[in-house]
Amino acid sequence: MQKERKWFKPIFEFNETSSPKKNKRNDAKNKSPTYEKPSKRHNSNTTYNFNDKNWMKNFEPVNIEDVAVHYKKIHEVEEWMRTACNKSNNDMLLLSGPVGSGKTATVRTLASKYNIKVTEWITPVDIEYPSVLGDYEIKESQSKKFLEFIINSANFTSLLDNNSCKLVLVEDFPNVFIRSPTEFTDVLQQYKHRAKSPIVFICSETHADNKNTAFHLFTASLKEQFNIHHIMFNSVSATGLKAALKRAVDIISKKYTFTYNIPTADLIESIVNSSGGDIRSAILNLHFASLKGSQFNLETSIIKEKEVKNKTSRKKKSVSNKFMSLGKDQTVSILHGVGRVLNPKEITTSDGHKIMSHAPKDIIDQFLSHPSSFINFLEENYLPHFSCINDVDKALMALSEGDCLISEWREKICQEYGLYVAIAGLMTANKSPVSAWNPVRGPKNMKIQYPSLSELPILEPNYLYKGKVLVTDYLTYTKIIGS
Amino acid sequence: MSLWVDKHRPRDLMKLDYHKDQAIRLKSLVQQSDFPHLLVYGPSGAGKKTRIMCLLRELYGSGAERLRQETMHFTTPSNKKIEIMTVSSNYHIEVNPTDVGIHDRVVIMDLVKNVAQTHQIDSSGQREFKVVILNEVDDLTKDAQHALRRTMEKYVATCRLILIANSISRVIPAIRSRCLTIRVPAPTESEIANVLHIVCKKEGLSLPTELAMRIAKSSDRNLRRALLMCEASKVQQYPFTADQKVPEPDWQIFIKDTARMALSEQSPKKLGEVRQKLYELIIHGIPPDIIFAGLLKELVRNCDMSMKCQIASHAAQFEHRMRLGNKPIFHLEAFVAKFMAIYKKFMEDSLGDVF
Repeated sequence: MQKERKWFKPIFEFNETSSPKKNKRNDAKNKSPTYEKPSKRHNSNTTYNFNDKNWMKNFEPVNIEDVAVHYKKIHEVEEWMRTACNKSNNDMLLLSGPVGSGKTATVRTLASKYNIKVTEWITPVDIEYPSVLGDYEIKESQSKKFLEFIINSANFTSLLDNNSCKLVLVEDFPNVFIRSPTEFTDVLQQYKHRAKSPIVFICSETHADNKNTAFHLFTASLKEQFNIHHIMFNSVSATGLKAALKRAVDIISKKYTFTYNIPTADLIESIVNSSGGDIRSAILNLHFASLKGSQFNLETSIIKEKEVKNKTSRKKKSVSNKFMSLGKDQTVSILHGVGRVLNPKEITTSDGHKIMSHAPKDIIDQFLSHPSSFINFLEENYLPHFSCINDVDKALMALSEGDCLISEWREKICQEYGLYVAIAGLMTANKSPVSAWNPVRGPKNMKIQYPSLSELPILEPNYLYKGKVLVTDYLTYTKIIGS
Repeated sequence: MSLWVDKHRPRDLMKLDYHKDQAIRLKSLVQQSDFPHLLVYGPSGAGKKTRIMCLLRELYGSGAERLRQETMHFTTPSNKKIEIMTVSSNYHIEVNPTDVGIHDRVVIMDLVKNVAQTHQIDSSGQREFKVVILNEVDDLTKDAQHALRRTMEKYVATCRLILIANSISRVIPAIRSRCLTIRVPAPTESEIANVLHIVCKKEGLSLPTELAMRIAKSSDRNLRRALLMCEASKVQQYPFTADQKVPEPDWQIFIKDTARMALSEQSPKKLGEVRQKLYELIIHGIPPDIIFAGLLKELVRNCDMSMKCQIASHAAQFEHRMRLGNKPIFHLEAFVAKFMAIYKKFMEDSLGDVF
């Protein structure tokens, strides 16, 4: 194996450096499932280079079984890839899911399994510098470049590969398409006509809808038009994360004991808890938490979270640990937040005090949306949870106070206070809650529609009427008079 | 066919039907060469606009009555295009800056700048300044009011502002002090009845005195509404009879219904129904303060004095908060809930006494 590689290494060194990923993969696939030390490959130096940028690669999945994605999902992708590559037509696949759910890893690992060459589009930096004369060079448009690239890579094989199967991967969408989705349709049209290889699009989903490429670019009609197969990924499950981390720990204990401390089970547990289903961040955390060099262990900074009931799996109380300094911030979607406020759960602590499972302060801290929009949601939805008018009165008092504070836009802190007043008030007001399933409704659109002058032909044409006056005085009577 | 309100609007300061003393003062104000910014305020339907149009006619002659409509376009700093309707003559321009909501500052600054930078071509025998009329100044955002203050000072040489407001309490003091404030009080009921008689005479109709008084009473001392009511009654039934039905504005009936709902049952479910009604009122453009007043009037009708006092003070508190806040529905709903809580307690207490 090593010999085989040697013959091209000195000649095509550029290839090695430009896409180390691919070569590594192809090597690995022919070898046994165990990992090989990157140090062996790069140079004869046996000590591991601490500053190696590719340390992340050490933990990358090699076999498809190692990918921390549910096997059924993998199977789905695998199925598609097999049929698409066998037919070698220009099928299209869209993968969407939260960040770090293993979309790219699945595609890359599967591709290496079936010996498919993956070509990925990376949007070039196109900052234009003015020439000496001060005028800008006219460059090719991004979409044109993109189209050229994907078609070329779909139709022409590289001289250096003997692979027959090709796959085009697009993860990094040029900004042009976000601004004008029609252009994207044109590109796909061209691709459908001219290209001979399947293409995979990968979109990360975020909480914010306005940045959701999967949602914006790939509309339902577009998916139908080009027969795009859509596979949605979920965030990695806790067991999946654990398995992946266990594998990483194995790798560490086998080869990298000189750079890493061997992580304990507790540490793994807290990493799983704090990463929120993001495998990439979990690996990063593992790397950081177990690096050698620090005098004392990071475990000392683990905070023991209060006991949280696990609702979904009917387990007993499980203690969840979290890192203080690591991990993602917990974020809460707006609907989730509404649920937490309107159905406050009380827990009795060991010393007999009643506390809330989610304190108002925590809910506010975990928030991404604008306070006023959240208050609107609360206002729309709180009513069915109440059974007593006195409680409603207290809750509304809090909401009305909150609204006053929030509208003070010159002081930023007022927004937070207003939100706090409203949330805390709502959570404490309800003494006799109604437990029923209440679907969350969005706030009403309160845009006022004043009647237009064309609806009221009797009025003087060249007179400026005020909207308020039109509604309160004219509307009723012009109807009577005009009839 | 135009409405009586428009057809019989006085066009000359000397022909106004009430506040004649004030009219004379206004006339003498115009006859002097200089003329300050004006802030005209008073309740709706008191005759503010009528007086201003008379004043303009006094200033510029009948040319000020040749009006044309125009849509003006502005661009906000955030590059949003907004458009607004204006009505103008050769000498003045009138606009409702509140039509564009929070972008009112841009409208005020750009509009006044545009007008103020163009001088009258032929100033012989004419005034040297143009007039900008801004409606609903009390509903302007604070931002816009401050912009207005600066603009007023800067362009005082070439343009005069006439500001119209319902109440000066929400106009910032800086603007108040830069203007000559003129209060136009609402006409008394007898004054309204008098105007109704005059208009009916012009139309060649005979109006019974009792009906005139009833219309005047139900109009809330709003002359515009009184005239519209009178014309609507004429359409419904003529010749007039003293006891004929005077049509009420439909939103008033709607508010009465809403109040009745709150009185019928005090529960969260009923509050939900009341809220739907309130939504409907707001979306149709009924000003929330009017809803507040209407609700209060209906709700306290069968309460005793101590409860009336209590509810009125809560209404005042919520109304004040509504002015400070962004969402009128919150405070309206809170008021209704407060009322329900108090009323329920009162009912339970009085029932307890019975047994």
